[in-house]
Amino acid sequence: MSSRTLSRRDFLKLARTSVLAACGLLGLGGLIRFLEAQTEPALPTDFDLGPVSDFAPGSRTLRPEIPALVLRTDAGLSVLSLVCTHLGCTVESKPEGYICPCHGSRFDPEGRVRRGPATQPLRSLRFVIPQDGHLHVFTN
Amino acid sequence: MRRYFLFFGSVLLLLSLLIAAWQESRRPRPVALIPTLTGQVEYCLTCHSDLAQISSSHSVKTFGCVVCHGGEPLALDANLAHSTMRGGANPSDDSVVQASCGGDNCHGGSPETYSDHIQRATTSIQATYAGAIASMLYTFGAQPDLTARFAVSVVQDPQSSSGITGLSAFGQVQASNPAIKLFGQNCLNCHISAQPLPGTEYARFTGCAACHTPLTPVGLLPGEGQGVTPQVHKLTTAIPFTQCDTCHNRGNYDLRSMTFQSRQDLPTDRLHAYYQPIAQFTTCEYKLECNDCHTRTEAMGGGSLYGSKKDIQYIRCKTCHGTPTELPLTKTLTDPNDIAFRLAQLNPVIDLKIGDTILMTDKGDPLWNIRPLSDGSYELFDKASGQRYTFKPVKGSGCTQDPSRQDSASCHQCHSVQR
Repeated sequence: MSSRTLSRRDFLKLARTSVLAACGLLGLGGLIRFLEAQTEPALPTDFDLGPVSDFAPGSRTLRPEIPALVLRTDAGLSVLSLVCTHLGCTVESKPEGYICPCHGSRFDPEGRVRRGPATQPLRSLRFVIPQDGHLHVFTN
Repeated sequence: MRRYFLFFGSVLLLLSLLIAAWQESRRPRPVALIPTLTGQVEYCLTCHSDLAQISSSHSVKTFGCVVCHGGEPLALDANLAHSTMRGGANPSDDSVVQASCGGDNCHGGSPETYSDHIQRATTSIQATYAGAIASMLYTFGAQPDLTARFAVSVVQDPQSSSGITGLSAFGQVQASNPAIKLFGQNCLNCHISAQPLPGTEYARFTGCAACHTPLTPVGLLPGEGQGVTPQVHKLTTAIPFTQCDTCHNRGNYDLRSMTFQSRQDLPTDRLHAYYQPIAQFTTCEYKLECNDCHTRTEAMGGGSLYGSKKDIQYIRCKTCHGTPTELPLTKTLTDPNDIAFRLAQLNPVIDLKIGDTILMTDKGDPLWNIRPLSDGSYELFDKASGQRYTFKPVKGSGCTQDPSRQDSASCHQCHSVQR
């Protein structure tokens, strides 16, 4: 049985190659991480609320992710934004209407201003019901 | 030799890369917030997610952090993130308040929308110190009368309705009197932009936060708050008397040496927290919070430049108690946009409704925390603790005081408590 001894030159060569390979892997990892970095997504403006049949006649459905209230009345469907028109806080739904917890603006059940500091009514949001039968609401 | 050089060079490169990777791994994963008001991403919550929301009026989800504090919203390095903050930790300091808190919809609006807070605060006696300066200059012969001409710093207000449209900086005073120079050196720190004196009994911020960020919990006397960690990320209109006492009742200015002589006694109860040994006080004066009676106009200013404290501070005993011949002024709330509702919403110690009657000052300021009861008495809600008190009017009480003499000194003749 013959034994091979590693010369100093070979050892240095092997070590150097290993170190450079590790450097390459680390650099590659950094590059992948850099390329995979994503910017923060913007606030969504298009919401798919599912089948419109989910909203029964006479229902008031809170959708906090928008935030909005989907109202289904005899007159039809409407979507009322719950973003206060003063500075953008989310208003709270009460039996008498809507109250902004930030600065006390009050709105009647139709979203009209009853008390400031807000001066504009709550927005009625645009929506479409395409062929898939889903309710799509837009905040922009 | 070249082989060794290449070997050690590659080891050095590996070490550098490992250190870079290690530092990168220590960096926190960013926590993004997109406030609805700005729609711009900010990473402040990466480190500050445990910070309490500053007030219900400043929802972090709506406002975020940067709109008030400034700073670099996308930086994850603390030094870089904080490098462009306004006013350090206090964006309400007078030097930056317009950028931090201003704007038509915030605190830089008009009196009609009740949003002229910055105008009020920066022109108020609390900021200018104009009355004390005028009084001192007149006393030492540097000006011929008590007219206010100087403030701590320059203030111009061409729209001022008080007749004073501008005040020069105290540094412009041309006087050689050593007392005036000492006043400038030692006494100009008595305003809301000045840094407080050392000591927990003086601890307060500057600007709006000087009053609206109480550093002693409600109910504790000045100095008793030691050891209690105050919530400094807080803005409130529920201001306890202790916050007023960080400036007031802390001592006196010695007019001979023009130095501040701090009080040496530690008050053991609220009555003795006052620092006017010969002054007299009635129960309400030492049980209530200062702002239970003193209106926001008095405390924060009326929006114009004033030459003296007496030009803006006008509440008297009769404002709440009336006189032997007249009941206090009242007002029935019919307008849903009445300022009383706004103030009660900010500090909900009372549930005001349309049709409620509240007390009102003779200048029209609402005393929104006080309303008459059906039995002829009145109820008052302490603005800091929410505690309910009741009191009776002077009329019908048997008081024989001359109705034309309703200054506090006259009332104190019978109603002061022993100190």
